[in-house]
Amino acid sequence: MNKNNEQFWSQIIDKVRTWARLNSIWAVHFNSGSCNGCDIEILATLTPRYDVERFGIKLEGSPRHADVLIVTGPVTRQARERLIRTYEQMPEPKFVISVGSCSISGGVFEGCYNVGGSVDEVIPVDVYIPGCPPRPEAIIDGIVQLLASLKGGEPRKMARPANVEEMPA
Amino acid sequence: MNIEQTLKDAEQFLAPWAKELLHPEANRLDVAIQVDDLRAATSALLAAHWGYLSAITGTDLGVEVGQLEALYHFCNGPAITSLRIHLPREIDACLPSIADLIPSASFFERELHEMMGFAFHGLDVSSRLFLPDDWPENVYPHRADFSPDRAAPVAGRRADELPEQGVVGGNTFVIPIGPQHPALKEPGHFEFTVDGEIVTAAKMRLGYAHRGIEKAAESRNWIQNLYLFERICGICSHTHSMAYSLGVERLAQVEAPPRAQAIRELVAGLERVHSHLLWLGVAAHEAGFDTLFMYSWRDRETVMNLLEQITGNRVNYSANVLGGVKCDIGAEQAKAVKEGLTYLETRIRHYLEVVTTDAMFLNRTRGIGTISREEAEKFGLLGPTARASGLSRDVRLEAPYGAYHHFPVSLVMETNGDLEARCVVRLKELLVSCFTMRTIVDNLPEGPLTTRMPRKIPAGETVSRIEAPRGELFYYIKSKGGENPVRVHIRTPSLCNWVSVLEKAVGHQLADVPMLIAGMDPCFSCNDRVVTVNRPSTNETWSWKQLREHGIEYYKR
Repeated sequence: MNKNNEQFWSQIIDKVRTWARLNSIWAVHFNSGSCNGCDIEILATLTPRYDVERFGIKLEGSPRHADVLIVTGPVTRQARERLIRTYEQMPEPKFVISVGSCSISGGVFEGCYNVGGSVDEVIPVDVYIPGCPPRPEAIIDGIVQLLASLKGGEPRKMARPANVEEMPA
Repeated sequence: MNIEQTLKDAEQFLAPWAKELLHPEANRLDVAIQVDDLRAATSALLAAHWGYLSAITGTDLGVEVGQLEALYHFCNGPAITSLRIHLPREIDACLPSIADLIPSASFFERELHEMMGFAFHGLDVSSRLFLPDDWPENVYPHRADFSPDRAAPVAGRRADELPEQGVVGGNTFVIPIGPQHPALKEPGHFEFTVDGEIVTAAKMRLGYAHRGIEKAAESRNWIQNLYLFERICGICSHTHSMAYSLGVERLAQVEAPPRAQAIRELVAGLERVHSHLLWLGVAAHEAGFDTLFMYSWRDRETVMNLLEQITGNRVNYSANVLGGVKCDIGAEQAKAVKEGLTYLETRIRHYLEVVTTDAMFLNRTRGIGTISREEAEKFGLLGPTARASGLSRDVRLEAPYGAYHHFPVSLVMETNGDLEARCVVRLKELLVSCFTMRTIVDNLPEGPLTTRMPRKIPAGETVSRIEAPRGELFYYIKSKGGENPVRVHIRTPSLCNWVSVLEKAVGHQLADVPMLIAGMDPCFSCNDRVVTVNRPSTNETWSWKQLREHGIEYYKR
C-alpha cells in the first residue's frame, strides 16, 4: 500500500515536471568557434518576428539554470574544454541542440588545424539543425521537435544526419 | 593630393634606407629595407604624418628560399607603402618592435610572432595570442612546412590556462568574464581587475573562435576560398567576400561589369544596415534597454527580407562570384528595396531621436568611454569608432573601390568621441547608406553580371581594402600563378578597435564595461587575438576574511 502510494505520487510529480519543462524551456547558448551567422539567427528567433517566447523558451545566461544547450560552430581546440565544462554545469535532465553545418560536421572549416570537428564528438547531441546558417524557422522547428519528443517521456535521440562525410567542404 | 605625388613623397622620406624601390601597382610603393632600418623608416613616415600603419603581413617564402618576409603596410588615402624586410628562415628571426611608436602594432606583431615565428625585440610575448595554450613551442601554423600532426597538444597543459577566479593582488579583485557569459554573444575571455566598482586593469584572451582560416585558404582553390572567407564572419560576410573578389580580380586584371559593381555596393549597403541595427539592439540590451533591442531587431527583419529577396539567403548571401555577382536586381526587387528603405529611414530617424533624448540611455552613453581625436589616432582606430572621435577614416571616401566612384557616400563624423557619438555616427551613416542605395536602385547600370575569370590567377600580390561595417578591412593576397593562393592575410577592423575597450575600461565602473565592449561593435569571429594592458605588477594573495574587511573599510569611506 505504502509502496503504491509512493509510486502514485512520483508519477504525478513526473507529469507535473514534464508539463512544466515543456512550457518553459530555458536555453543557454554556447559559441564554440562559429562565424556568428548561426548566433545572429538564434538571436533573431528570440526577437519579435519569430518570437520563441511563445513556447516559453528563454535565453538564459547561466548554464546552471538551463535545460537546453544550444551549440553553434565547429569545436575549436580552445573552446572544447569550455564546452564540456558548460555542459557539465547544467542540471539533469539536459538536452543539446547543435545548430549549423559546421557544428554537425565541421562544415566549411573541416580540416582547419585548430578545429576539432563536430559537437557530437565532444558532448551528446539530441537535435541537429543543419544549414549555413539555418533559417530561424528551421531553428524553431528543431526546438519544437525536441519538445514533441519530450512529451513522450524520454527524448528521442535524433540519428546523426547521414552522408555528413560526403558533404562538400 | 594625387596618388603619384603621395607616393613620391613617401619615396623621398624613405630614400635614406631604401635598398630597392618598386611600384607593383599604380597605388602601391614597395620599399625593401634592412631590418636595422625599420624603426628609423617608420619614424620618418610618422614624423611626416604619412598615413597610418594598416597591417603587418608575414609570409614564409618557403624552405628552399629559406627566408621569411615581413611587410609593413602604411596607408595614406588610396596610396599604400609597404616596407619589405627579408629575414633568414630560422626560429629566431628577429625584428625590432615598433609597438612603442605605434601602439596598435603590438597586435600585429604578436600575431606575426605566433603564426609565423618572428621574434620581436621589446615585445611582451609571455602569454599566447590566439593559439591554444597547449600548442607546442616553436611550431608556427603559417610556416610553409607546418603540418597539423606537429601541433599535438603538449601534455600537462590546458587549452586555455586562465587564472582562478577571485585571485587578489594588492587591493584589487580580478573578475573573469567569458568565454560563456550573458553579456557576450561570442566567445572571448576578459579579466577585469577592479578596485571596488572601478576597473583598474583589463586583460583579454581570445582565440576561442580561432579556426585557422588563413592557412586553410592556402590549400583551397580560388573559388572555394570565396565561400570560406564569407564564413569568417556571419555579420559582415559580404564585405569579406567582396574584398577578396576585388583583390583576386585585380590580380587577374579583370574588372567586374558596372552593373555587378553597383549590385555589390547595394548588398554591402544593406549589410551595413543589418549590421548596425543588430549592433544597436545588442548595445541597447547591454544598457538594459530591451525595448529598443526588440524594436531594432524587428526592423532589422525588413532588411533581412530584402537581402533574402535579392540573394536568396539571409546571412551568408554568396552574392559575389569572382568576376561579378550572381544575383540581379529586377523591377520587383527594386520596388521592394525602395519600399523597405522608406520604412527603414523613418525608423532610423526615430532611433536617432531615442539615442539622443532618452534620459536612461544617455546616462549610460553620454560622456562614457570618451576617446579624443589624438587618442583615436594613436590607438589606430578604424571605422565608426574612429569617426565618432572626429577621425575621418573611411575607405569608401579615401580610396573608393568598385562602384563607390559612381555612387559615393558622404562622410559622417562626430567629435565627442563618447558612446553616444558612436551611436549617432552609426545611425547617421545608415541614413547616408539608405540615400546611396536609393540612388543605386534608380540608376542601376545596364549590362552583364559577370565577366570571365581565368581558373588560374596570374602570379603577383595585391592589397584590397574595403570599408566593412566596423571599419577598414584589409586583405593581402599573393598568387604564384596556380589554382590556390599562396598567402592570404586578413586584418579585420575589430582587431584595431579592441585597444579602445582595453584602454578605456580602466577608470570606468565595471557596469560600463559591457557598453564599452558593445560600443566598438566587436566581432570575435573576425579576429582572434589577445593583448594585455595596464596589468598591475602586485601579486599578493588575500584571504577571504581580509578581502571582506577591505570591502567594509572601502565602503565606509
